[in-house]
Amino acid sequence: MFDRAVAGDADLVRRCLSGEPGAWDDLVSLYSRYVYAIVTQGYRLSGPDAEDAFQDVFLRVYDRLATLRDPDSIRPWIAQLTRRVCLDRVARKDEPPPAELESVDATIDELDEAFAVREALGRLSGDCQEVLDRFFCRDESYRTIGQELGIPAGTIASRISRCLAKLKEQLDA
Amino acid sequence: MGSAAAETASKAAEIIAGVARETGGSGPGARGAAAQAIALAERLATLSNVDAQVFSAALDALAHGSPDLKSRLEEAAAVPVEIAQKAADVAEAGLHVAERCDGQMRADAAGAAALAAGAALAAANLVRVNLALPADDERVRRAFAAAEDARYAALQALDAGP
Repeated sequence: MFDRAVAGDADLVRRCLSGEPGAWDDLVSLYSRYVYAIVTQGYRLSGPDAEDAFQDVFLRVYDRLATLRDPDSIRPWIAQLTRRVCLDRVARKDEPPPAELESVDATIDELDEAFAVREALGRLSGDCQEVLDRFFCRDESYRTIGQELGIPAGTIASRISRCLAKLKEQLDA
Repeated sequence: MGSAAAETASKAAEIIAGVARETGGSGPGARGAAAQAIALAERLATLSNVDAQVFSAALDALAHGSPDLKSRLEEAAAVPVEIAQKAADVAEAGLHVAERCDGQMRADAAGAAALAAGAALAAANLVRVNLALPADDERVRRAFAAAEDARYAALQALDAGP
């Protein structure tokens, strides 16, 4: 997978615009979950509506990437494109927009935060990624983590604390 | 009873998170310990609700001689196993905090670890008395192993200092 942590947004944009092989695949791979989450969780689109909106967003990204003024701002730019595509789709429907749309901004803020954490997590050592993923995402117990990783169970809490501190440093950087 | 065990361990985790925050200020270790305790408290609160649902379904199946009685009872055993394991983690988190916190708050962290150990044992006992499981079942073994881990962590926490 494209290592965004090393290369950065601006470099990814440059690679796409220069026609570098694989760059667009990297961009879609990096932002597909983000866009899909806005479409489905923010605007409550589902089924073919969600799939069409998803494709529309990346078509627009492809068409308009050269107009992006600040390559480091690609994420908010993609978020804005996604909003427009979704609002168009919601407006085209005969039914009134769902009440949940009032909380779209909050949903996108949460997604941005989750995305930032995921990126920061990707910059940690493999050991830290593993232990944080097992405890917070896979919901594994200290004992299971210790057994799986060959670490004394009594040291897992300390290890998680140290890794969280490193994650915080990455988020603050 | 499973719900009560989960709620007790959840409350213990909240106390541990509070001690970590109070005593550690903005230090990275304290924040990490608090984050773990909060995650455990939330998970146990969810397990409390899940346990109430699966236990109710098992009782209903038992009362009506339902053909899926065995599977309902097994579902009702799986949740207390997880409660025991999560409670053991709370006790461990309590030990982690008790060993590092301000002495004035150590009793709270250690006491919370002891509460969690009690909850783990109560949950493990629910697994043992489940009608669907033989005494030598792997789930019974895992639940009591968690309860033993919790007891050990709580004793260490209580012995961590004045």
